[in-house]
Amino acid sequence: MARVYVSSVIDAPVARVWERIRDFNALPRWHPRIRDSRIENGEPSDRIGCVRDFHLQNGDRLREKLLGLSDYDYFCTYSILESPMPLTNYIATLRLTPVTDGDRTFAEWSAEFDCDPAEEAGLIEGIGENVFLGGFNALKRQVVR
Amino acid sequence: MVKVVTSTVIEAPVEAVWEVLRDFNGHDRWHPIVADSHVERGLPSDKVGCVRNFHLQDGSNLRELLLTLSDADMAFSYCLLDTPVPLLNYVAHVRLAPVTDGNRTFWHWESRFDTPPGREKELHDMVATNVYQGGFDAIRTHLGVA
Repeated sequence: MARVYVSSVIDAPVARVWERIRDFNALPRWHPRIRDSRIENGEPSDRIGCVRDFHLQNGDRLREKLLGLSDYDYFCTYSILESPMPLTNYIATLRLTPVTDGDRTFAEWSAEFDCDPAEEAGLIEGIGENVFLGGFNALKRQVVR
Repeated sequence: MVKVVTSTVIEAPVEAVWEVLRDFNGHDRWHPIVADSHVERGLPSDKVGCVRNFHLQDGSNLRELLLTLSDADMAFSYCLLDTPVPLLNYVAHVRLAPVTDGNRTFWHWESRFDTPPGREKELHDMVATNVYQGGFDAIRTHLGVA
């Protein structure tokens, strides 16, 4: 089981950051790596079990299923159903926690998955840097006070 | 039931902050409101169930019991046994998390307690400001970070 963990601090109140990320279909509006996204079967994007079908800027296609969403604890958990990456059993959680000292946001993004040991280091690096840290850096630019 | 939740970011690696915080008997070396502290019956301060017996700068005597200590989660929890301040059924939780972006530390400190009627806000603010925010600032000074 491989694990990726990336965390950062975003200089905006947690409610403002959550407003941008809670929509499971909103990746193209805040994550620079995502080109387009739709929710299958016309379901609402906050319905647990819904599936987002999206493309990266490079054309890769992924399908991910919403497993958990909390407006109280500010987290979103999802799994990968289909992707070009050589991994299985991928489950990720994006979680926000208020930093009361300065009214900022502590953001954590973590994932667990299985893969060939030879692929592990590259997958951890790629997911951690491009997807997770890249997403946090984009949010920092977008929600700046 | 009053709930206090505070959190901050310390400009130091999580291992450095945890090294200071995990010593349940170490608070008199960094927290400005604590004058002296010892663990009762000579127990080690990382033995779950140990009691720290300490005085504040104003002379008041408190006893707190270590309920949880986890190096894996960088977290501990404790409750108040004896206190001259009416914080009743007081249980507090401290946890650290790494901020991988910048090698910093997220520090979360929260508690729940009961108070005599009408004193909720006063005691909430005392805990949040004097104990928790005061502790955040003191650790920055102790570690020599901004």
